Amino acid sequence: MIRNNDNISPYQLAMLVIMSIIGVGVFNIVHVIAKFGGNDGWIIMTAMGIVHIFLAFLFIRLSCRFPGKTFPEYIQEILGVVLGKILVFAISCYILLNLAYEVREFTEVAKMFLLPRTPTEVIIFALILVCAYVVRGGVESVARVVEITFPILFIPFFLVLIPGFPNLDLTNLLPVGSDIGTKFTRMIPHAPHAFRGIEYILFYIGFMKRPQRAYKPVAWGLIFVTGFYTLVSVIGIGAFGAKSATKAIWPLLLYIRNINIPGLFIERLDGVILSIWVITVFTTIITGFFIVTYSISKVINSKEQKQFALPLMMFIYYLALQPAGLAELYEWGDWIFKYVSSIFIYVIPIVALLIAAIRRLGVKKSEDF
Amino acid sequence: MAILTGDTVMLIDGTANIIVIGTKGWPARGISEPTTEAVIRGPKEGFTETYRFNSALVRRRIRDPRLKLKQMQIGRRSFTDIGIMYIEDIAQPELVAEVKRRLSTIDIDAILDSGYIEEFIEDNPYSLFPQIKATERPDKVAAALYQGKVAILVDNTPFGLIVPATFNSFFHAAEDHYIRWIPATVLRMMRFIAGTLSLITPALYIAVTSYHPGILPTELVLSIAAAREGVPFPAVIEALILELTFELLREAGVRLPTLIGGVVGIVGGLVIGQAAVEAGIVSPIMVIIVAVTAISSFSIPDYSFSNAFRLFRFMLIFSAAFLGLYGMILGLLLMLGHLVRLKSFGTPYLSPFVSFTASDLKDTIVRLPMFMMKNRPLGIANDKVRMVNNRHEIKKGANIKEKEKGEDHNDKE
Repeated sequence: MIRNNDNISPYQLAMLVIMSIIGVGVFNIVHVIAKFGGNDGWIIMTAMGIVHIFLAFLFIRLSCRFPGKTFPEYIQEILGVVLGKILVFAISCYILLNLAYEVREFTEVAKMFLLPRTPTEVIIFALILVCAYVVRGGVESVARVVEITFPILFIPFFLVLIPGFPNLDLTNLLPVGSDIGTKFTRMIPHAPHAFRGIEYILFYIGFMKRPQRAYKPVAWGLIFVTGFYTLVSVIGIGAFGAKSATKAIWPLLLYIRNINIPGLFIERLDGVILSIWVITVFTTIITGFFIVTYSISKVINSKEQKQFALPLMMFIYYLALQPAGLAELYEWGDWIFKYVSSIFIYVIPIVALLIAAIRRLGVKKSEDF
Repeated sequence: MAILTGDTVMLIDGTANIIVIGTKGWPARGISEPTTEAVIRGPKEGFTETYRFNSALVRRRIRDPRLKLKQMQIGRRSFTDIGIMYIEDIAQPELVAEVKRRLSTIDIDAILDSGYIEEFIEDNPYSLFPQIKATERPDKVAAALYQGKVAILVDNTPFGLIVPATFNSFFHAAEDHYIRWIPATVLRMMRFIAGTLSLITPALYIAVTSYHPGILPTELVLSIAAAREGVPFPAVIEALILELTFELLREAGVRLPTLIGGVVGIVGGLVIGQAAVEAGIVSPIMVIIVAVTAISSFSIPDYSFSNAFRLFRFMLIFSAAFLGLYGMILGLLLMLGHLVRLKSFGTPYLSPFVSFTASDLKDTIVRLPMFMMKNRPLGIANDKVRMVNNRHEIKKGANIKEKEKGEDHNDKE
């Protein structure tokens, strides 16, 4: 009756997947896709999405070996307590860095389009303060916020995209599939840029009552994300062509700015979209931030994760203020996502799974879903 | 002495004892129409101050021997009667036990209204949002009991309490279930829209005019600017002046006798509204904004719930003044972050919107036809099945055929 369990439902897991991966990067992703994938970027995006679904299945398989335990708990069984704790700590630091990047990127977008005269510090501080408040509520709060904001965010977003379709010139996508091999190899190092946040799945599955039931929601969540990215890249490339899309930093916002709906009393939709896009940045941050506070609490063997929210918030604040400007931020980002992210997203989970398999840890067969 | 205070004395021949029968009667307010929750269609009885009348009103609607009324007394000096009502096989025993446990912790000298009880047993008394529903309507209490909720009746007050209460239920009026479902759905949606408007309209206006005039068409910006010309204050101060005036008027109007209440309307509406605009203190658009907000906030059915919205509105005004649309959205997210944490007796406050089952969404923003709501909502009930859909029977066995046209009839004969 008193349902104060720290559990999440399969539906909530799907929402967590979607809302943690899709962040402020959406505006920039079109630029990246157009730069490295050219006019075939959307095909590559779809292909990468499918690969990531299988990657996520590996995460689930790993979690299924340790039902009822979360990643920071069972990694200590796999690698031993000391090494496990170091690893969890490293992941937390990486996610903190990631969040700081996210916050700062959003702040730069917001400064450009919404609040040109407000100091960066104020924008960042207000945002992460609200995030810290939600994270203090625990996994239930995070999952519920994500669950509720999903329709609030995406329904208006799609509604806004549709009226711009006449502006699209789909011939920009032609010729399909020429020289796709090189484009692919150029694009692959940037996969973590689009799909960062997928590693959060590893943590959240642990909060499910039956991790075996995670396959479906995770698959649906990632299909949505892939579909969304594909749609966005088709729009970006279709509207501007691969070359011009490369020139703009946020092609999608330009696309939205150019939409004019006759009879509507709102003239520039980008401001509106950007202000509801605060929500997605917010959800990306709370999903990651919760993981950090939770992991740290496991590293220090503390029962509660609440008290870590405010101190760690200061770290995000500090890190987010480090880059001097947008150019430095994106330089930073390139470095993080090319090298650091790949280790945490791909290498560590797979190695952990291998070690667990070799050492025969946990429940071996758990195919009863 | 007993006779003089209204008791009956029974003397029986041959016995030495006298039986004193307590037959005191006292003037009680009769059952009248509920003032805060009036309906156009539906029962017009409301609770009254006499506890026994109230329990009888509910009992008349639930003639089930499993309807339980557990009575207790709270108040070291007042000994106020408190009744816990539930239907035994629908309400979960854990919920009933929890209500009893929380009630038994109350130790106070007097209980004068159910509001006392509410504050003592709420999950989070520091929240702006009420987590217990107070109602004057016996039919609402009965409907809640049929859903597996628990009602608390308190002597000397016409307000019963219903637990658990959810965000959603505060937007529902009793009438929603008595009128046909399509208008009921539309009205409900309007109420949700009104709730949103009453929260964000002033904040939105401030954010757009002072931070992002670019998102409006040029003509509208110009007309707003023209209207604001000569107003010496920034939009926030303007909004605060008018909002405060409105809240003052409302507060003054609530407690005044009806005869003088009308005068408040005239003073407020005509003198302050008109004169303030003409004096150039506020712009006419601001008056419209505040009026829209006011009307919207009146369409939230529950009084204490609309109070929460009132206060949040001011918070949003400040955050919009501080950070524009961005601040407004952050304010709303803060509110959401607070709401997802709230619980009312174990039920998430935002259910069924969070951790939902699709069948519970039938009676939320929309109100689907009765025959589609087969199960009791919210997942708090033990006995899930509420009804069997016999709708198809009506079509199948139609006894009354449409009358054929007169001419055809004659031809056949």
